[in-house]
Amino acid sequence: MERITTKPRNNWQTAVEKLGFGFHTTNIPYWDESAYYSFIMPEVLKLEKATAELWDLCLGAVQHVMDNNLYHQFGIPDYIIPLIEKSWTEDHPAIYGRFDFSYKNGDIKLLEFNADTPTSLYESGIVQWFWLQDFDKSKDQFNSIHEKLIAYWRYLKQYLYDDTLYFTCLKETLEDLTNTEYMRDCAIQGGLETELIFIDDIGWDDNSEVFVDMKEKDIKNIFKLYPWEWMLKEDFGKNIVADKNKSLWVEPAWKMILSNKAILPILWQLYPQCPYILPAYFEADRLTDYVKKPILSREGANIEIVQNNMSIEKTQGEYGKEGFIYQQLCSLPEFNGNYAVIGSWVIGQQPAGMGIRDSTSLITNNTSRFIPHLID
Amino acid sequence: MKKSKYIELVLITAALASCHHSGNKEWESGNHTYIRSDSTAPYGAAIGYGNGGARMWYYAFRPYGNYNNGYYERAGYYSDAIHERANIGSNSFKSSVVRGGFGGGFSVSS
Repeated sequence: MERITTKPRNNWQTAVEKLGFGFHTTNIPYWDESAYYSFIMPEVLKLEKATAELWDLCLGAVQHVMDNNLYHQFGIPDYIIPLIEKSWTEDHPAIYGRFDFSYKNGDIKLLEFNADTPTSLYESGIVQWFWLQDFDKSKDQFNSIHEKLIAYWRYLKQYLYDDTLYFTCLKETLEDLTNTEYMRDCAIQGGLETELIFIDDIGWDDNSEVFVDMKEKDIKNIFKLYPWEWMLKEDFGKNIVADKNKSLWVEPAWKMILSNKAILPILWQLYPQCPYILPAYFEADRLTDYVKKPILSREGANIEIVQNNMSIEKTQGEYGKEGFIYQQLCSLPEFNGNYAVIGSWVIGQQPAGMGIRDSTSLITNNTSRFIPHLID
Repeated sequence: MKKSKYIELVLITAALASCHHSGNKEWESGNHTYIRSDSTAPYGAAIGYGNGGARMWYYAFRPYGNYNNGYYERAGYYSDAIHERANIGSNSFKSSVVRGGFGGGFSVSS
């Protein structure tokens, strides 16, 4: 894995905007093609193998949490547990997730698993692929995201209700809308009938006790780019279990377990021999060099890095009241002051590609930059 | 690693690229737009789209909808500042449908 600086395309802004990628720059650059990461095939195969193995281990960990009724460690409210278990035993449709890895000196370590609402899907699947077509068509990329999304939606069709599949996300966030619309694009190509409805436009019919769209038509299948933990805290949260249609939510409720950082100590407890899993605990006194993470947090908020029991870096935020976990400190690979995190996608139960984000700090947050990659 | 060398996007380029067209002059005039989300609510100035400028205004107020049997049916607006009907709460003049029970978050970027 090498970081190579290069000259951005002259018209790169136009090129990515033509793809519908509008959030390439905010007040700081997000899409950054002034560099790329170069991998050799054995490295990519190693990442692919780690992704496949970790996915299997994660499924085992979900079963362990259910069998041992460990929901309290995840801050999951009691009323949703029956739905979590139903969605697991009935194998409700699930399509994707993104493991975040450190890949340093040949060692792959799992930092966390974005199993419910992973983003950077469009950058990973589309934008960096078209960058490669302009940069060097002769090279390849660890990227079959687009093909796998279409194929898996086609496969999932038989497991959805024979009805429209709605796609929902927040309003006024172009990043969320782009990810959601890209997912919908793939579902359309997979043969599904779809509609977009923003999350706060979703209606609840008090008489019939069902979720409805803007035309008051029942919603029975819905893909959401909106976290389960937010939904459960909001006014409509309890309606999810009261819903007479028993709507299928994608990702399903059991993904609440994997997207919660409380899964990290569980994984360590279950699989201490796994080379990809870092020691992690619910207690602070088990490690001297560690990263303190809220079990529910986003974009690197409320993270603290502790070395020799001294805090060396800390981010602010509004998370943490549900509790924290403590994961052994794993320094990220550094390339001239840039720290790289690999986001490795699992789509339809299979490794599907990767996207890499650079940060100038040890904590990858919402100011990180997406850097394309190729296989040399 | 990439099984297909051909990528087609049927929806997203058309839908999202239009969010960034700054040439739609009809949205560029005036600095303030006064709106209300419910007939019972007072009018207020709708501002606060940061530095997005005209293209963000275009994005915010662009209607979205779906084609049904060849006819376009508007479902709502990209902004929650205006609505086909009052979007939060219910009363005897409205239907039994309540909206706005989800959506308190900011952005899900992970």
